[in-house]
Amino acid sequence: MPSIARLLFASLVVSALAGCATPPPADDPEAVAEFNETNDPLEPTNRVFYKVNEAIDTYALKPAAQAYRFVTPQSVRDGIHNVLVNLTTPVLLTNDIAQGKPRRAGDTTMRFLINTTVGVAGIFDVASDWGYPAHDTDFGVTLALWGVPAGPFLFLPVLGPSDPRDAVGFGVNIAMDPFTWVGQGEIVTALNWSRFVVSALDARERVLDTVDQIKKTALDPYATFRSLYRQHREAQIEETRNDNRTTIPVWFPQAAAAAGTPENP
Amino acid sequence: MLTRRTVLTVMGALGVIVAAPPIAFAQSAGAAPAFVKQTADQLVEIVNGPGTPQEKRPRLLKVIDSAVDVEGIARFCLGAFWQRATPEQQREYIELFHDVLLNNITGKLGDYRGVAFTMGRTTPRGETDAVNTLVTRPNAQPANVDWIVSNAASNPKVVDVVAEGTSLRLTQRSDYASYLHRNNNSVAALIEAMRHQVASFGSG
Repeated sequence: MPSIARLLFASLVVSALAGCATPPPADDPEAVAEFNETNDPLEPTNRVFYKVNEAIDTYALKPAAQAYRFVTPQSVRDGIHNVLVNLTTPVLLTNDIAQGKPRRAGDTTMRFLINTTVGVAGIFDVASDWGYPAHDTDFGVTLALWGVPAGPFLFLPVLGPSDPRDAVGFGVNIAMDPFTWVGQGEIVTALNWSRFVVSALDARERVLDTVDQIKKTALDPYATFRSLYRQHREAQIEETRNDNRTTIPVWFPQAAAAAGTPENP
Repeated sequence: MLTRRTVLTVMGALGVIVAAPPIAFAQSAGAAPAFVKQTADQLVEIVNGPGTPQEKRPRLLKVIDSAVDVEGIARFCLGAFWQRATPEQQREYIELFHDVLLNNITGKLGDYRGVAFTMGRTTPRGETDAVNTLVTRPNAQPANVDWIVSNAASNPKVVDVVAEGTSLRLTQRSDYASYLHRNNNSVAALIEAMRHQVASFGSG
């Protein structure tokens, strides 16, 4: 998917050159506080890209996702989703390690081993039932844990809500993925694109109802998506930060006690 | 930037706005989970019970009105504009907000058939308690839902619902703030838009 990365870079440049939101007058402290909290200095440009994405979504992505939902039963879609998640293992594991979260890295490794074998190439998520819960992470979260600030809000073409930290994270995530680099030739390219297309269908299908609901109930869907994206990312980062489970297994009680770790309930 | 600290500060601030007596807070630890469980049980019973969404609406209304601080949430969502609104506008806004909230819940009823929940831990957050629940429903990932409860001991009310880290109150507030910003900060325009929203409910 290097073309996506190129598109992303182009959009960043365009964003930087295009119009900026006018800050409110300094004698209105409430308005200034609101403006700073929103942290969306590129709002006019962002809204243009929001409209572009809306058009792409209305005429291409959403109908495709609806068709995907129509022709496949839920159980098949779940299986496909699980396979896609399993394929992200190398990226997940690299980020878990970069975040200094050994227990999460262990979960990711065990999930891959169990789901790829017992779960038949990742179709069935057996590992969750066996005590290795799924988690989602990316290099944007890693950067956040390294102390990189999010920066202003960005609405990117195709990719949607983001910020400079997450945009960089997105690019690095792709670079981390061995499937980006492994192999040459038409078959590999075709497989990579198939995976990309199916991932897009899967991601869009899973939020069909939610997005419809938000668009129906929000007076300003752009602002609502902006707020939801920020809050969700913040929650995801905090959840990762606070995941300090020990790496001592529960079946090793003496060491757990010696380390002063409370026994698992 | 909307940091966790900001969220907490804002939530703390709301606790002051709704004037939760500090004495109540001290005794609240046991009361909040019981209150949330009772409210959620009532909601689950309505959602999973028989009847069309329209038939369920009056029963939902009863639960919402007794358990949720709708007026407090409405005032929070209008932010600084609450003070700028005329008493007439304030009255009308709260009425509409009430309808919008109920419509949003009624509109989602179909999706939540078969919903169940398990109680999680309760964490004090300033003047309020955050009661965690894990909400499960068929064909969907389990979702972490936090119920922010004020005044747990004497007169408990839900002041916010945080689903997977996203606060209902903050999201609604940013929606209204942005709408106002783009409509000359006119509360009248917001009320008009809400009226239109309520009138068109069910037709699309």
